[in-house]
Amino acid sequence: MKTYTLIAFLLITGTQSVKPNEIPTKPCPQTTSATLMMYDDFCDTCGCSGNGGSMGFGTGLNNNFIGLRYISQNYRSRDGIFANSPWIDEHFNTLQLWTQIPLGERFIVNAVLPYQFHSREFADNTEQNIDGMGDATILGFYQILKQTPDSIISIKPQHTLQLGGGVKIPTGKFDEANLEGSVNPSFQLGTGSWDYLLAANYGITHRNWGLSVMANYTIKSKNEKEYRFGNQFNYALNTYKTYYFGTNFALTPQLGVGGEYFDKNEEYGLEVADTGGSAFFGKLGAELNYNQYALGVSTMLPIAQDLNNGKVEVKSRFSVYFNINI
Amino acid sequence: MLLVALAASCSSDDDASSDLTGTGTVIIEFDNSMAGDDLLLSASSYTNSQNETLTVTRLNYIVSNFRLTDEDGNIFTYPKDDSYFITSEETGSTEVVLTDIPAGKYTSLTFGIGVDQEKYLQGAEGQGDFLSKAEENNMMWSWQAGYKFLNFEGTFTSPTVTEATNFQIHMGSHGSSLDNYKETTLALETEALVSDDLSPIIHLVVDASDILDGTNKISLSEQAVIMVSEEKSPKIAANVSTMFSVDHVHNGDGSAH
Repeated sequence: MKTYTLIAFLLITGTQSVKPNEIPTKPCPQTTSATLMMYDDFCDTCGCSGNGGSMGFGTGLNNNFIGLRYISQNYRSRDGIFANSPWIDEHFNTLQLWTQIPLGERFIVNAVLPYQFHSREFADNTEQNIDGMGDATILGFYQILKQTPDSIISIKPQHTLQLGGGVKIPTGKFDEANLEGSVNPSFQLGTGSWDYLLAANYGITHRNWGLSVMANYTIKSKNEKEYRFGNQFNYALNTYKTYYFGTNFALTPQLGVGGEYFDKNEEYGLEVADTGGSAFFGKLGAELNYNQYALGVSTMLPIAQDLNNGKVEVKSRFSVYFNINI
Repeated sequence: MLLVALAASCSSDDDASSDLTGTGTVIIEFDNSMAGDDLLLSASSYTNSQNETLTVTRLNYIVSNFRLTDEDGNIFTYPKDDSYFITSEETGSTEVVLTDIPAGKYTSLTFGIGVDQEKYLQGAEGQGDFLSKAEENNMMWSWQAGYKFLNFEGTFTSPTVTEATNFQIHMGSHGSSLDNYKETTLALETEALVSDDLSPIIHLVVDASDILDGTNKISLSEQAVIMVSEEKSPKIAANVSTMFSVDHVHNGDGSAH
């Protein structure tokens, strides 16, 4: 917790102490935040009833990039059904290769390939670790509204609107045995199911300010073990401001909120008790750009939550990424 | 608006497993607790509505005559000779395993607490090896006196009994003169699916605080050792019959819980 407070403090003081420069008249073409309208990993920690997430920001600028991102998520969940059943700590770690590439004038493709390494500690001090490939996701977006390429310093507000859909491929392992012991059924590398995504991103930028809204819905199917994670709805709203330093550097602090809603899971077509729920987060982050490179950090802390009938709690999420604009 | 459109376009596929054939195993887990807390023998204490604080050292009981009712109301009765079990928190044997259950979607579970008169009247030789199991688990007085259906022991304090004092609640039928055998029927909120491939686990929560602090209030300060009591043991038997509830049903191949 201290770490996050510190990060938040640094970001806020950083934002205030930095005197925003004039927007350079000739900004280097790819200086501003990239990652951003990235739909983000809906469901990166597996399929995830109480997981996954609406991490990430959108600036509305659709730079194309390839990068690496690390996401750490901390949960705790009740190991048992009683009021005095012990809480166990669960750590979900994900390393992702992610990319956004254009396909012609109006199409963009997002792809995420995750590697997961999760751990949890039980009350008797034993530890369980699982690691391996997670579920890969591919999304295509059609850009209904698109910024004109030279519009970064346009006087009028610029709108972007992207609608898309995609698929999550069960490249991660779903292990039925991991349903045992804990009420958190999401301690998995993958959902084991083919899941389908619908996504929408809207962004508006004006001078060096920006605001973005994203929403996505994941329709999950039954896996081979007859287990079906509940459908998931994510939404997020972000605001940001870009500060330029010379012609090569830019810093974009970001502030936002996001939420996730999960339907109940099903097993053999029957609802599973103590699944589903919702969580609402505050988000804070920053991206530093140098020429075509972007380094970003973001954190999400829960403001309100009710996951798995109160038997799972999300404590924090943190991510750091490095992207190269292409 | 967009979101509504997105959300509305989702489809749901609810093809519950259709044809169940063959037989499977049904496991019934008796998860003992005290008023919402896991029961930890000798480790935790619990204060009841009568202001008595109990530390439990033993909780054994006999469960019997299992029956499962399916969605059409058909009742499957488990073979009577195989239908007597002792669950014991001390030994950790808190699972009842019923084998060769015909395929079906079961919606309720019925069982007895204790040994019914019909079985008892078959005489000592009619009990099979259950008699020796009962002796090993401190669930017999003597053949003449009969089975203890419930063996609930520990220590307690109260405003009037300030020194930790042993309590012993042994409830049974006392031969054939006093019949304390009771049955309970529990609705399964999630259907239990049984087939060649499906062996569900029915996870019951057993709230042992009901034994003394259920519908009938039994004061340990008044009497700490209750065995053969024509007045109190039927009240305890009535309390015990209400201490079971279904927490959840886990459908699957029986390997995971």
